[in-house]
Amino acid sequence: MVSGRFKSRSKRRVMVKTPNGTKRVYKNRKPSKATCGKCGAVLKGVPRATKSELAHMPKTAKRPERPYGGVLCSKCMRLAIKEKINKS
Amino acid sequence: MFDTGRVCVKIAGRDAGKTCVIIKKIDNVFVMIDGETRRRKCNLKHLEPLDKTLNVNEDASHKEVITLFKEKLKIEIKETKPKKAKPRQRKQHIKKEKPIKETKKKSQQKTDSAKKTEVKAAKVETKAKTTKKTEIKADKKETKEKGIEAAITKEIKESAKDKESSAKKETTKKAEKK
Repeated sequence: MVSGRFKSRSKRRVMVKTPNGTKRVYKNRKPSKATCGKCGAVLKGVPRATKSELAHMPKTAKRPERPYGGVLCSKCMRLAIKEKINKS
Repeated sequence: MFDTGRVCVKIAGRDAGKTCVIIKKIDNVFVMIDGETRRRKCNLKHLEPLDKTLNVNEDASHKEVITLFKEKLKIEIKETKPKKAKPRQRKQHIKKEKPIKETKKKSQQKTDSAKKTEVKAAKVETKAKTTKKTEIKADKKETKEKGIEAAITKEIKESAKDKESSAKKETTKKAEKK
């Protein structure tokens, strides 16, 4: 009988082969791909990893090292800077 | 548009959003820039020109550019020193063998001397044991010899007694016959 906390589909089910047969294991799902906050394009340089995996990564490996890195794509970032310059 | 002295804003890379000045025009595509950004070669596509210009020579140093930025643009540039990589503190594996050896030697000497004394004592004990054994054997031999002698003497005495008794019997018999 499945325990109550595993009855929802929030966790993915993985079948693991064991010497005694196959066993069902429940694992956390990966988050969706990071997208640009302006145009919605998939961001490059942002890993698709779980929280625990991200915790073991350095900060430089989690997002590109530029302004708005990990939030906007490079094209939108350039446009944003240009808009800032024009406003000032 | 992109001539020497033109103030620009860098759009791409990790220096994006920072102001810089064109120091030198390399070709139609690349220029040398300096200012808030690092002093480096840059593509014209990665620059957004502003309507400001500075009087900068082609061979201007980084310090001159900083002073110009302070005076005319009122932008203070923080000078960052390149970080020097610290030498790794490797774990020094101290060889504890030498002091151990010395102690060992001392201990060995002690043990050797103790062993020697023990061996000597054991030898003395064994000698004493052997002497005791030999004494015991000699005593046994003596007792045996004594016992044999005593037995022989007993036998002799007994034989003498028998003879005497037999002689007495014979004499009594003779006397009876007579």
